[in-house]
Amino acid sequence: MFNTSGFGRQIDILQRTMDTSMLRQNVIANNIANANTPNFKRQDVNFESRLAYALQTERQEPRFQEALTNERHIPFHETLDYRDVRPRRVTDFATTAKNNGNNVDIEVESMNQLNNQLAYQMMTRSVADAFQRVNLVLR
Amino acid sequence: MGMFSSINTAASGLTAQRLRQDVISNNIANANTTRTSEGGPFRRSRVILRPRTEGPTWKSPFIPQPLDNGVGQGVRVTEVQKDMDSELRMVYDPTHPDAIQSGPRAGYVEYPNVNVVTEMVDMIDASRAYEANVAVVNGARQMFQRALEIGR
Repeated sequence: MFNTSGFGRQIDILQRTMDTSMLRQNVIANNIANANTPNFKRQDVNFESRLAYALQTERQEPRFQEALTNERHIPFHETLDYRDVRPRRVTDFATTAKNNGNNVDIEVESMNQLNNQLAYQMMTRSVADAFQRVNLVLR
Repeated sequence: MGMFSSINTAASGLTAQRLRQDVISNNIANANTTRTSEGGPFRRSRVILRPRTEGPTWKSPFIPQPLDNGVGQGVRVTEVQKDMDSELRMVYDPTHPDAIQSGPRAGYVEYPNVNVVTEMVDMIDASRAYEANVAVVNGARQMFQRALEIGR
Protein backbone atom coordinates (compact mmCIF):
# COMPACT_ATOMS: atom_id res chain seq x y z
CA MET A 1 0.00 0.00 0.00
CA PHE A 2 2.73 2.47 0.96
CA ASN A 3 5.48 0.80 -1.03
CA THR A 4 6.50 3.90 -2.95
CA SER A 5 6.48 6.35 -0.04
CA GLY A 6 9.33 6.86 2.38
CA PHE A 7 7.28 5.35 5.18
CA GLY A 8 6.52 2.13 3.32
CA ARG A 9 10.10 1.81 2.27
CA GLN A 10 11.35 2.24 5.83
CA ILE A 11 8.92 -0.40 7.11
CA ASP A 12 9.84 -2.72 4.24
CA ILE A 13 13.57 -2.48 4.92
CA LEU A 14 13.02 -2.97 8.66
CA GLN A 15 10.82 -5.99 7.99
CA ARG A 16 13.44 -7.58 5.75
CA THR A 17 16.15 -6.99 8.31
CA MET A 18 13.97 -8.47 11.05
CA ASP A 19 13.33 -11.56 8.91
CA THR A 20 17.07 -11.93 8.48
CA SER A 21 17.51 -11.53 12.21
CA MET A 22 15.09 -14.41 12.82
CA LEU A 23 16.93 -16.54 10.29
CA ARG A 24 20.20 -15.72 12.00
CA GLN A 25 18.71 -16.70 15.36
CA ASN A 26 17.83 -20.08 13.82
CA VAL A 27 21.31 -20.53 12.40
CA ILE A 28 22.94 -19.60 15.73
CA ALA A 29 20.61 -21.98 17.61
CA ASN A 30 21.66 -24.75 15.23
CA ASN A 31 25.35 -23.90 15.69
CA ILE A 32 25.05 -24.00 19.48
CA ALA A 33 22.96 -27.21 19.44
CA ASN A 34 25.71 -28.83 17.36
CA ALA A 35 28.56 -27.49 19.51
CA ASN A 36 29.73 -31.06 20.25
CA THR A 37 28.92 -32.76 16.94
CA PRO A 38 32.02 -34.10 15.17
CA ASN A 39 32.81 -32.55 11.77
CA PHE A 40 30.02 -30.00 12.06
CA LYS A 41 30.86 -26.65 10.45
CA ARG A 42 29.25 -23.46 11.69
CA GLN A 43 27.05 -21.34 9.46
CA ASP A 44 26.51 -17.63 9.24
CA VAL A 45 24.10 -15.28 7.46
CA ASN A 46 25.26 -12.55 5.07
CA PHE A 47 22.79 -9.78 4.49
CA GLU A 48 23.46 -6.38 6.05
CA SER A 49 26.60 -5.47 4.14
CA ARG A 50 24.91 -6.32 0.83
CA LEU A 51 21.82 -4.32 1.82
CA ALA A 52 23.98 -1.33 2.76
CA TYR A 53 25.73 -1.57 -0.60
CA ALA A 54 22.42 -1.71 -2.49
CA LEU A 55 21.08 1.32 -0.62
CA GLN A 56 24.30 3.17 -1.32
CA THR A 57 24.09 2.53 -5.06
CA GLU A 58 20.57 3.97 -5.05
CA ARG A 59 21.79 7.17 -3.48
CA GLN A 60 24.98 7.60 -5.47
CA GLU A 61 24.94 9.60 -8.67
CA PRO A 62 27.21 8.33 -11.44
CA ARG A 63 30.36 10.40 -11.24
CA PHE A 64 31.44 9.73 -14.76
CA GLN A 65 29.16 9.33 -17.75
CA GLU A 66 30.43 6.42 -19.80
CA ALA A 67 29.75 5.98 -23.52
CA LEU A 68 27.84 2.73 -23.98
CA THR A 69 27.88 1.99 -27.68
CA ASN A 70 27.24 -1.73 -27.45
CA GLU A 71 24.63 -3.53 -25.39
CA ARG A 72 27.31 -5.79 -23.96
CA HIS A 73 29.29 -2.90 -22.49
CA ILE A 74 29.40 -3.03 -18.73
CA PRO A 75 28.21 0.19 -17.10
CA PHE A 76 30.39 1.69 -14.34
CA HIS A 77 27.51 2.45 -12.10
CA GLU A 78 24.78 -0.08 -11.55
CA THR A 79 21.83 0.67 -9.31
CA LEU A 80 20.84 -2.32 -7.22
CA ASP A 81 17.31 -2.70 -5.93
CA TYR A 82 17.40 -3.46 -2.21
CA ARG A 83 14.44 -5.81 -2.71
CA ASP A 84 16.67 -8.14 -4.72
CA VAL A 85 19.03 -8.60 -1.79
CA ARG A 86 18.37 -11.95 -0.13
CA PRO A 87 19.91 -13.25 3.09
CA ARG A 88 22.55 -15.79 2.25
CA ARG A 89 23.65 -18.63 4.49
CA VAL A 90 27.35 -19.36 4.30
CA THR A 91 29.26 -22.27 5.83
CA ASP A 92 32.58 -21.58 7.48
CA PHE A 93 34.15 -24.77 6.12
CA ALA A 94 37.81 -23.78 6.19
CA THR A 95 38.54 -23.45 9.92
CA THR A 96 38.81 -26.05 12.65
CA ALA A 97 38.65 -25.10 16.31
CA LYS A 98 38.54 -28.49 18.00
CA ASN A 99 40.14 -31.88 17.44
CA ASN A 100 36.86 -33.40 16.19
CA GLY A 101 36.67 -31.15 13.14
CA ASN A 102 34.02 -28.93 14.72
CA ASN A 103 34.52 -25.16 14.54
CA VAL A 104 31.74 -23.89 16.83
CA ASP A 105 33.01 -21.56 19.54
CA ILE A 106 30.25 -21.33 22.16
CA GLU A 107 31.44 -17.94 23.44
CA VAL A 108 31.45 -16.41 19.95
CA GLU A 109 28.04 -17.88 19.17
CA SER A 110 26.58 -16.60 22.45
CA MET A 111 27.90 -13.13 21.70
CA ASN A 112 26.44 -13.28 18.17
CA GLN A 113 23.17 -14.42 19.66
CA LEU A 114 23.12 -11.47 22.09
CA ASN A 115 24.04 -9.02 19.31
CA ASN A 116 21.31 -10.42 17.13
CA GLN A 117 18.75 -10.25 19.92
CA LEU A 118 19.56 -6.62 20.70
CA ALA A 119 19.51 -5.69 17.01
CA TYR A 120 16.08 -7.30 16.72
CA GLN A 121 14.86 -5.32 19.75
CA MET A 122 16.15 -2.14 18.17
CA MET A 123 14.34 -2.87 14.93
CA THR A 124 11.04 -3.68 16.66
CA ARG A 125 11.37 -0.35 18.48
CA SER A 126 11.98 1.41 15.17
CA VAL A 127 8.88 -0.17 13.61
CA ALA A 128 6.78 0.71 16.66
CA ASP A 129 8.07 4.30 16.60
CA ALA A 130 7.35 4.64 12.89
CA PHE A 131 3.75 3.55 13.42
CA GLN A 132 3.46 5.82 16.43
CA ARG A 133 4.48 8.82 14.33
CA VAL A 134 1.75 7.96 11.81
CA ASN A 135 -0.75 7.66 14.66
CA LEU A 136 0.26 11.09 15.90
CA VAL A 137 -0.52 12.58 12.49
CA LEU A 138 -3.84 10.76 12.17
CA ARG A 139 -5.07 11.82 15.58
CA MET B 1 11.24 -22.37 8.68
CA GLY B 2 8.59 -22.51 11.33
CA MET B 3 7.91 -19.68 13.70
CA PHE B 4 9.41 -21.28 16.78
CA SER B 5 12.05 -23.36 15.05
CA SER B 6 14.93 -21.66 16.85
CA ILE B 7 13.40 -22.72 20.17
CA ASN B 8 12.96 -26.28 18.85
CA THR B 9 16.56 -26.33 17.65
CA ALA B 10 17.83 -25.20 21.04
CA ALA B 11 15.55 -27.75 22.72
CA SER B 12 17.20 -30.54 20.70
CA GLY B 13 20.55 -29.31 22.03
CA LEU B 14 19.17 -29.32 25.59
CA THR B 15 17.98 -32.93 25.19
CA ALA B 16 21.32 -34.06 23.79
CA GLN B 17 23.36 -32.37 26.52
CA ARG B 18 21.12 -33.74 29.26
CA LEU B 19 21.54 -37.23 27.85
CA ARG B 20 25.31 -36.72 27.82
CA GLN B 21 25.11 -35.66 31.46
CA ASP B 22 23.11 -38.83 32.27
CA VAL B 23 25.63 -41.05 30.49
CA ILE B 24 28.55 -39.36 32.25
CA SER B 25 26.94 -39.79 35.67
CA ASN B 26 26.34 -43.47 34.86
CA ASN B 27 30.01 -43.82 33.90
CA ILE B 28 31.19 -42.22 37.14
CA ALA B 29 28.75 -44.27 39.22
CA ASN B 30 30.12 -47.46 37.64
CA ALA B 31 33.78 -46.46 37.86
CA ASN B 32 34.55 -49.56 39.96
CA THR B 33 32.02 -52.09 38.62
CA THR B 34 33.80 -55.34 37.78
CA ARG B 35 30.81 -57.53 37.00
CA THR B 36 28.16 -56.93 34.31
CA SER B 37 25.43 -59.10 32.74
CA GLU B 38 27.33 -59.33 29.44
CA GLY B 39 30.45 -60.48 31.30
CA GLY B 40 33.66 -58.61 32.09
CA PRO B 41 33.94 -55.22 33.70
CA PHE B 42 31.78 -52.21 32.94
CA ARG B 43 32.79 -50.26 29.82
CA ARG B 44 32.33 -46.52 29.68
CA SER B 45 29.60 -45.28 27.32
CA ARG B 46 29.88 -42.36 24.97
CA VAL B 47 27.22 -40.39 23.14
CA ILE B 48 27.44 -40.07 19.34
CA LEU B 49 25.88 -36.87 18.05
CA ARG B 50 24.83 -35.98 14.49
CA PRO B 51 23.18 -32.90 13.00
CA ARG B 52 19.45 -33.51 12.50
CA THR B 53 19.62 -32.34 8.89
CA GLU B 54 22.80 -33.36 7.18
CA GLY B 55 24.46 -30.67 5.12
CA PRO B 56 26.40 -31.87 2.09
CA THR B 57 30.18 -31.89 2.28
CA TRP B 58 30.88 -28.98 0.02
CA LYS B 59 34.22 -27.22 -0.22
CA SER B 60 32.77 -23.75 -0.65
CA PRO B 61 30.99 -21.38 1.72
CA PHE B 62 27.99 -21.20 -0.61
CA ILE B 63 26.00 -24.40 -0.99
CA PRO B 64 24.16 -24.56 -4.34
CA GLN B 65 20.37 -24.36 -4.05
CA PRO B 66 19.49 -27.99 -5.06
CA LEU B 67 21.92 -29.45 -2.51
CA ASP B 68 20.87 -27.17 0.31
CA ASN B 69 18.88 -28.87 3.06
CA GLY B 70 17.85 -25.56 4.58
CA VAL B 71 18.67 -24.20 8.01
CA GLY B 72 19.70 -26.98 10.37
CA GLN B 73 17.08 -28.44 12.68
CA GLY B 74 19.43 -29.04 15.59
CA VAL B 75 21.20 -32.10 16.89
CA ARG B 76 20.21 -35.71 17.41
CA VAL B 77 21.77 -38.60 19.31
CA THR B 78 22.47 -41.49 16.94
CA GLU B 79 23.60 -43.95 19.57
CA VAL B 80 25.06 -44.44 23.00
CA GLN B 81 28.13 -46.49 22.24
CA LYS B 82 30.23 -48.68 24.53
CA ASP B 83 33.87 -47.65 24.47
CA MET B 84 35.71 -50.90 23.68
CA ASP B 85 38.85 -49.14 22.39
CA SER B 86 40.48 -47.69 25.47
CA GLU B 87 42.34 -50.03 27.81
CA LEU B 88 40.92 -51.38 31.06
CA ARG B 89 42.49 -50.43 34.34
CA MET B 90 44.42 -53.42 35.80
CA VAL B 91 44.70 -53.66 39.59
CA TYR B 92 46.62 -56.44 41.37
CA ASP B 93 44.30 -58.00 43.92
CA PRO B 94 44.46 -61.86 43.98
CA THR B 95 41.81 -62.19 46.69
CA HIS B 96 39.17 -60.38 44.59
CA PRO B 97 36.47 -62.81 43.35
CA ASP B 98 36.78 -61.41 39.79
CA ALA B 99 40.57 -61.71 39.66
CA ILE B 100 42.04 -63.45 36.59
CA GLN B 101 42.85 -67.03 37.60
CA SER B 102 45.48 -68.11 35.07
CA GLY B 103 47.81 -66.81 32.39
CA PRO B 104 50.38 -64.03 32.54
CA ARG B 105 47.85 -61.67 34.15
CA ALA B 106 46.87 -63.99 36.98
CA GLY B 107 45.93 -62.11 40.12
CA TYR B 108 44.96 -58.93 38.32
CA VAL B 109 41.42 -57.53 38.38
CA GLU B 110 40.05 -55.74 35.32
CA TYR B 111 38.48 -52.45 36.35
CA PRO B 112 36.36 -50.31 33.99
CA ASN B 113 38.04 -47.98 31.51
CA VAL B 114 36.42 -45.00 33.20
CA ASN B 115 38.82 -42.12 33.71
CA VAL B 116 37.21 -39.84 36.29
CA VAL B 117 39.18 -36.80 35.05
CA THR B 118 37.92 -37.29 31.49
CA GLU B 119 34.39 -37.71 32.77
CA MET B 120 34.60 -34.53 34.85
CA VAL B 121 35.88 -32.54 31.87
CA ASP B 122 33.08 -33.96 29.69
CA MET B 123 30.59 -33.10 32.41
CA ILE B 124 31.70 -29.46 32.53
CA ASP B 125 31.56 -29.35 28.73
CA ALA B 126 28.03 -30.76 28.71
CA SER B 127 26.76 -28.38 31.39
CA ARG B 128 28.28 -25.34 29.67
CA ALA B 129 26.75 -26.40 26.36
CA TYR B 130 23.42 -26.83 28.15
CA GLU B 131 23.70 -23.27 29.52
CA ALA B 132 24.43 -21.92 26.04
CA ASN B 133 21.29 -23.62 24.71
CA VAL B 134 19.25 -22.15 27.57
CA ALA B 135 20.58 -18.72 26.63
CA VAL B 136 19.41 -19.27 23.05
CA VAL B 137 15.92 -20.25 24.24
CA ASN B 138 15.71 -17.13 26.40
CA GLY B 139 16.98 -14.94 23.57
CA ALA B 140 14.49 -16.34 21.07
CA ARG B 141 11.68 -15.93 23.59
CA GLN B 142 12.58 -12.30 24.13
CA MET B 143 12.65 -11.72 20.39
CA PHE B 144 9.15 -13.14 19.97
CA GLN B 145 7.92 -11.00 22.85
CA ARG B 146 9.38 -7.87 21.27
CA ALA B 147 7.70 -8.74 17.98
CA LEU B 148 4.36 -8.97 19.79
CA GLU B 149 4.93 -5.53 21.30
CA ILE B 150 5.21 -3.76 17.93
CA GLY B 151 1.56 -2.79 17.74
CA ARG B 152 1.29 -1.51 21.32
